[in-house]
Amino acid sequence: MKIEFEGEALEACPGESLAATLTAHGIRSFRTTERGAERGVFCGMGVCQDCLVEVDGKPNQRACTVKVDRPMKVRREGSGRAPAASGPAAGRPPITIEEIPVERPQVLVVGAGPGGLAAAYAARLAGAEVLVLDEGSAPGGQYFKQCSAAGVAPPDAQHQEGRRLIDDVLGSGVTVRSNASVWGAFRPLEFAATKPGGSFLVQPEQAIIATGAFDRGWPVPGWTLPGVMTTGAAQTLWRTARRLPGKRVLIAGNGPLNLQLAVELVAGGADVVAVVEAAPAMGVRRVREIAAMLANAPRLVADGVRYLSTCRRAGVRLINGSVLTSVVPHSGGLRATIAGRETASFDVDVVCLGYGFHPSNELLRALGCEHAFDPEQRRLVTVRDTRGKTSVDGVWALGDCTTLGGARVGQAEGTLAGFAAARALGCALSAEAVRLEAQAAADAARHRRFQRALWRMYRMDESLRVRPTGDTVMCRCEEVTYGQVEAALAEGATSPSEIKQETRLGMGRCQARYCGPALETFLAEQTGRSQDETSGFAPRVPVKPVSVGDLSNPAGA
Amino acid sequence: MHSPTTSGPLPRDIQTVVVGGGILGLCVAGFLAEEGREVAIIDAGRPEGTTTNAGSLHVQMQSRFMRMHPDQVPALESGLHLYPKAVEFWFELQRHLDADFGLKASGGLMVAESREQLDFLAKKAERERSLGLDSKILDRDELDQIAPYLGPAVVGAELCADEGRLDALKANTALRRWVRRVGVMVTGETSVDRVSRDGGRFKLDTSRGTVRAATLVIAAGPGSLTLAEPFGLTLPVESEPLHMNITEPTDLFIGHLVQHADRMITVKQLSSGHVVIGGGWPADLSPSEDYAAVRLSSIIGNTSLAQHIVPAIGRLRIIRTWAGINTPTGGPGILGPIHGAPNAFLAIPGEAGYTLGPLSARLVADTVLGRRPTEDLAPFSPSRFR
Repeated sequence: MKIEFEGEALEACPGESLAATLTAHGIRSFRTTERGAERGVFCGMGVCQDCLVEVDGKPNQRACTVKVDRPMKVRREGSGRAPAASGPAAGRPPITIEEIPVERPQVLVVGAGPGGLAAAYAARLAGAEVLVLDEGSAPGGQYFKQCSAAGVAPPDAQHQEGRRLIDDVLGSGVTVRSNASVWGAFRPLEFAATKPGGSFLVQPEQAIIATGAFDRGWPVPGWTLPGVMTTGAAQTLWRTARRLPGKRVLIAGNGPLNLQLAVELVAGGADVVAVVEAAPAMGVRRVREIAAMLANAPRLVADGVRYLSTCRRAGVRLINGSVLTSVVPHSGGLRATIAGRETASFDVDVVCLGYGFHPSNELLRALGCEHAFDPEQRRLVTVRDTRGKTSVDGVWALGDCTTLGGARVGQAEGTLAGFAAARALGCALSAEAVRLEAQAAADAARHRRFQRALWRMYRMDESLRVRPTGDTVMCRCEEVTYGQVEAALAEGATSPSEIKQETRLGMGRCQARYCGPALETFLAEQTGRSQDETSGFAPRVPVKPVSVGDLSNPAGA
Repeated sequence: MHSPTTSGPLPRDIQTVVVGGGILGLCVAGFLAEEGREVAIIDAGRPEGTTTNAGSLHVQMQSRFMRMHPDQVPALESGLHLYPKAVEFWFELQRHLDADFGLKASGGLMVAESREQLDFLAKKAERERSLGLDSKILDRDELDQIAPYLGPAVVGAELCADEGRLDALKANTALRRWVRRVGVMVTGETSVDRVSRDGGRFKLDTSRGTVRAATLVIAAGPGSLTLAEPFGLTLPVESEPLHMNITEPTDLFIGHLVQHADRMITVKQLSSGHVVIGGGWPADLSPSEDYAAVRLSSIIGNTSLAQHIVPAIGRLRIIRTWAGINTPTGGPGILGPIHGAPNAFLAIPGEAGYTLGPLSARLVADTVLGRRPTEDLAPFSPSRFR
């Protein structure tokens, strides 16, 4: 299949994302910002809004989420061309909310990752009527995302495991709706969503929130340059389309996912120059953690050992106790510099950042679910019981959107929340369901023990945190630098809201997902004030940008 | 949004205290401090932002208000002459502060979708002209010359030349910097629970202790109701929570403040390229009534109407919604001294409070300073509510 980008014909693989097509052709810059900066793929999962392009005249489309399913005309998004007034959607008669269709399933699950799918399956097994809404083009979430490009390599073990879960869910009579973006949650229990056909509302009896997490930012000079992307984004290019983010790749971050990415990219023929891990090297001092991990998830430990040996064999340098400190454009590519135990520079095409995750808790917060602040991880944790029950009646939460635990914990918690939500509806559990529930409780506990040991081992030295320079971008959307925030502080602004007013920080398309946490950390350092559950920006609807055209169009049945 | 540290130290005894740090409170405090007064602002929430302004510069009578309160139209008309002056004063203030408010007065269009609506606008424009406003009616062909972005359903519009918009974020930031520069003490997150006389001074019981002041200016929007009670005034002020939406930025293509003859809507594009959609759709007050929350039906109804009038908006995405609190007064604003209470003043601008804010503040500041204000404040006197 051929698509057109800025008048140039490009060969594309049907089913892959537009971002994958462009990346495969070495195109990394997709748009120019208001201030003339170049941007491309960053998060790869529809969160950062940096990869915007114009598709067939429709502005501001996320290249990472647009699937190439037809020949399309794509243009770079300029600093914002005025939208065309013509087209089939031009000037529809105004509607009121009464015209928007309402669905009333017994159980709504938001998110079709491992946790959401497991929750849907359990609730259905217990007899509940279940609707799953997922923003992705196919179920699986980030961990179980399937290969969407036609005719590429056969699925690997992780794909297959996900496929089995997806097939189980679809076969059980659960309704799974992909390409459905839940953009708002309203009290007491109403969800607003769009699908390609338009707008619809869901008023479930029970809601299970399984919205997962997104990669944290790593604000250093150059982190907004095209070619600098999250580990998750690079993995999505590979796992959904078997496209490499580039030929020469540096991976920097904190955690085992970076090693997995290195192994996948090496298998795809990339030259991974190094994996730069912030945590210190794992020596004999780690015997306790390793023993705990072996006792709880030996297969995952075996995976880790395999990743390490594959990297060594492929000549990937493994550097511990160091972090990325800057990226600059350099002879058509990028020059990335690291510091810490080792100081070095690498000339590469692509830099992948994998410095942990941030929970996607926006819907939970919009519904008023109670949260606590975890000072060590510097993020909010949803308050809930062992079955996922939140402080709001009828709202259950699980997995990475509550606190980071990974896919295995999410899946086990999903099963527990699914059964619990069904119980709340009055469903009686079969003996088999009770057995699965007990199994899930044990799995959840086991994988949490594994995660605790894993993150003790991967704990990074806080002194390695990079002190950003004044010209480092804090807010990607509004292009606000650390220097501007400092100037606002000097002008007398003290709170996040005043800094927002002074600088426009956090007012862009991504809804402060990256700069919000960065600002909190910065303010804590600057003012010595401690963070708590009330710090930072309150969530606002829409939690994801939503097109007025979609809002104004009642979805068909 | 949480703002734990807008609260500076609370003054114990001060010459002038201004209760409320919205557009009125900020400007009154700034004007007084510029004349050497010692001034403190006490705000229950976050100064310049708890009730959130959207940045329309209104001049013509808003059809929303005329429909909802036809009985109050004569009262409203008595203050109409202030509107073009208020817009002019915004420009003056921008020059005075050497700041950029994103001001643009390129005219406001109130669109009609039927003959009947256009006739209504024609009568309205005639009345407004007799009151000194620059208003005229345009047919569709004339509209195509100046506003090609309007949808096919629009048959004509009233053009009011003095209307426009400003970027409230820029303006508020500049005003906050200004009041700090001229020495105003600003204390946020401090509610004033009770005001009483204490000898020759005012005593304010606040959530963070007692403040005494020789001069008191009440500029607390809907909160002014309880503060004015001890002075024997029953103000007709209300909390009207309103819903707002904003799109992602795009090239400038909407040149006017756009309203509708028969529907609640304002559409304008800020200098930053964002399109702001509002115009009186309801929001909800929180149970404690101290903040407003957005309403789903308003997001749908308001944005859907916007794309009907300006179709290209259908191509844009909403990136944020918020709710603010409007303070209708049942007619013109409430400005000036409280009779029988020497050194106590009220400063509530009424409908289109943001547009009228700086000029209203100037008039009140002049009376506080014992000067003769440039406008006759009799129609705005607090005494009418005794």
